[in-house]
Amino acid sequence: MSPRLSEALRYTLLVSIAVVLLTPIYWLIMSSLRPADHIFRFSGNFSIETLIPFSFTLDNYSQALQSNVGRALFNSLFVSLTTVVCGVFVNSLAGFAFAVFDFRFKKLLFVLILLSFMMPFESIVIPLYTLMRTIGWTDTYAALIMPEVAGGLIIFLFYQFFRGIPREIYEAARVDGANWWQIYYKMTMPLSGPTIATASLMIFIHQWDAFFWPLVATSSERLAVIQVAIARNMTMEQANWGAFFASASLAVLVAMVPFFWLQRHYVKIVITNADR
Amino acid sequence: MFRHSWAPYAFIAPAFLGLFVFRFIPIGLSGFGSVFSENLRGDMVFVGLKNYAELMEDPSFWNTMRVTLIFNLIINPFQICCALALAMLVRRPSKFIDVFRLGFIMPMTVSIALTSIIWSILLDPTLGPVNGLLRWAGFQSQPFFRSEHQALETLILVATWKGAGYWMIFLLSGLLAIPKEIEDSALIDGATGIRKFISITLPLMKRPLAFVLVADTAANFLLFAPVYIITNGGPNGATQLLMFEAYQAAFAYINHGRSMAISTIILAVVLLIAIFELRLFKPAGEEQS
Repeated sequence: MSPRLSEALRYTLLVSIAVVLLTPIYWLIMSSLRPADHIFRFSGNFSIETLIPFSFTLDNYSQALQSNVGRALFNSLFVSLTTVVCGVFVNSLAGFAFAVFDFRFKKLLFVLILLSFMMPFESIVIPLYTLMRTIGWTDTYAALIMPEVAGGLIIFLFYQFFRGIPREIYEAARVDGANWWQIYYKMTMPLSGPTIATASLMIFIHQWDAFFWPLVATSSERLAVIQVAIARNMTMEQANWGAFFASASLAVLVAMVPFFWLQRHYVKIVITNADR
Repeated sequence: MFRHSWAPYAFIAPAFLGLFVFRFIPIGLSGFGSVFSENLRGDMVFVGLKNYAELMEDPSFWNTMRVTLIFNLIINPFQICCALALAMLVRRPSKFIDVFRLGFIMPMTVSIALTSIIWSILLDPTLGPVNGLLRWAGFQSQPFFRSEHQALETLILVATWKGAGYWMIFLLSGLLAIPKEIEDSALIDGATGIRKFISITLPLMKRPLAFVLVADTAANFLLFAPVYIITNGGPNGATQLLMFEAYQAAFAYINHGRSMAISTIILAVVLLIAIFELRLFKPAGEEQS
């Protein structure tokens, strides 16, 4: 095959895949901008107006924000960002210890970390709920945040990166009299920008995505995160499709922010890590 | 490697406290709770292995196990193949390639709950745009989630829509880390196209592929939201996945003992898979010492 032909074929494939992957998101956002009674008018019978709305409105958004969705967006942001801050701190500490020190039971503890990363979080949701009920944490922010802070995958990510930092740097700092805490937060962490960005993105998107645990752990309207609030609105007031499309679009648009913002970082970090 | 009497333990303490309380204690609670049952007065009484025995005799539980197994045996290889194909497509730098790379991971921003709701609308037999398009193109409309014979396959496709781009990133980073000289030397040897991919590229991708296999299995094994939101396990048990069964036992039928027994079986299966998968990480484990 000539290079030009194969390149044309490649771009045809790229474009078709992009269409399949992106059209649902496009349709979601376009539907949120249609007047509520137009949303399904053109969906079952295909025409140009199925893809491009002829009349636009922001009514759906004002309706959505007046309902419980505003509060739910705040809850999700608060829970996700708090988990990011705590998670980066706690997991980078552990990754640092595994990368820098030799200590008793290190191998065993590392295997436990790997196991915890291979175990889906869902597998412990029901007994975790029993535990939360026993200690009186159901329907609290703590129940949504705390179980997601320590995570094997993020520890592993930091460990991989920290292992690549030459030990001579640490030796020099030790000679200068720095203690290990100072080395961690004055030297290692400032070197780790891209890794911190990747870890933050992974924790954020994981928490923003969370549905099963928040559904189980919180029953009050006050603490509903955005995913749970949208699913509940669907079953309680099935008629309000306009508000659904608006709140779903908001949830997607917020989740896009860190992807665009950190794009350069995580592509770079995953690349530099892969060869180790 | 450095040695210090207490510093390493202080550094790992917060993480292991979290893992202990929120992972290991629930595992214990699950095993403990599974040998109790609630009697008519609402007291918990020790029943030994009765909850397990009841599950073993329950044909609907075996159906759940069967569906979960089939689902995982198809979805994990399928998603990884899709992700690898995407990664190969966007590997070589060229015009707009960054746009495609970012575009392919955009479904990640749609949460699993929203993915479920949106695709159940898109695939609706009468109102859904997908069937609208099929009819417009002269095809028959398809029942998708409404049919016993299409529901599980549809679920796999929808989950792959969301996941493929995410796993593509990890495989892409592996591909980009392959030194150019190695692949160039293959060209001199006359290996091109598919043969080059199988004999040169694929073996070099062992580590990233192992990582993605492990992480992807963990993400799919206990898929819950689409079953809860779209199908409720139906039609006729076709999408009755294990996690939904445990959820029903705990929160719909409020059968504590049964839900704990299912949880314990889930944990045992998951641990078994994890221990098996640990072998994939062997080389990494040896390097660290």
